[in-house]
Amino acid sequence: MKFRLLETGENPAAKNMAIDEAIMRECPHFGMPTLRFFAWKPAAVSIGYFQSLEQEVDLAKCKQLGIDIVRRITGGGAVFHDAELTYSFTCTEDSAIVPKNILESYALICNSLVLGFGELGLNASFVPLNDIVVNGKKISGSAQTRRNGVVLQHGTVLIRVDVEKMFSVLKVPDEKLKDKMIENVKQRVTSVEQEAGREVYFREVADAVRKGFAENFKAEIEKGSLALEEKALAEKIEKERFASSSWNYLR
Amino acid sequence: MLRQDPLLGAATGQVLSLKGSAIYKVEGGKLLKIALEAEKGKILSIRIFGDFFLHPEEAIELIEKGLQGAELKEESLMEKIDSVVEGNSIQLFGFKAADLAKAIMAAVSKK
Repeated sequence: MKFRLLETGENPAAKNMAIDEAIMRECPHFGMPTLRFFAWKPAAVSIGYFQSLEQEVDLAKCKQLGIDIVRRITGGGAVFHDAELTYSFTCTEDSAIVPKNILESYALICNSLVLGFGELGLNASFVPLNDIVVNGKKISGSAQTRRNGVVLQHGTVLIRVDVEKMFSVLKVPDEKLKDKMIENVKQRVTSVEQEAGREVYFREVADAVRKGFAENFKAEIEKGSLALEEKALAEKIEKERFASSSWNYLR
Repeated sequence: MLRQDPLLGAATGQVLSLKGSAIYKVEGGKLLKIALEAEKGKILSIRIFGDFFLHPEEAIELIEKGLQGAELKEESLMEKIDSVVEGNSIQLFGFKAADLAKAIMAAVSKK
């Protein structure tokens, strides 16, 4: 089995989400499953499909700090994307690469990440529905959607985490309990650097996760690039959806 | 059963319309955030927010529309949600129909 590997580098939030959707929409024509690694510049907050930007995000603070905002096409929670590797994996449902059962497919795809963490010397485990933990602390979260016979799962691998910065842009249900909540999250969230006890670069994490996918799916992973159709579609989707208020403020 | 009818003025029996909201943490699951308007014990409109997953995503609107006019009783809300979910082959992840019914009731119960 062959997978295409895309490394699309650092991009603004709207472009990042548009590329994922373009890959997804072109997948039935392209055929080959795609593993993509990317990062966010500027740092960004993405919210889940069912969330409200106004409820979840301090928009004034984001503007002040130059932090991007975007709504995802996937469910799940608000994520502050800063020092992380973000992955996406796309394949058709009928390729039988991932199970039809959504919960089982989360477990299978996330196992690639578990193996990737192993490459980094970390003992990770998958916690349903969509988390990966190391030493009992969350180090990665994923979100999946299925549309028109295509599976897209994307997620984060935290390389470094700054919980204070995270909560400077994320709203909490009760402002009075914010300090307590920050302390609580510090206890429950970790990062590759924290666990490895050393500086770790994006490149090393990307190589480890690629190996994890290759081993998990017994796949040959070949470096590729976005097709012209995907690039054109991504530009259109970025403009029409992810950079538009009507989408980002949908709920 | 409701312990008290939040939509009725207890002293006067006067019917009131109501805007309610609630944040409900599903045990071992996700967060449901509810915003609704109700009148005479029935839902006028409702928005369901949260960090859950639902397949297909757009079907959240079918659930919200399906709840319009629904009686604010936990049991009947649960039945209504179940029938929309089953009738449209919707898959819920991180919460169940019973959790959503509880979250809705929390939005109209007196704090």
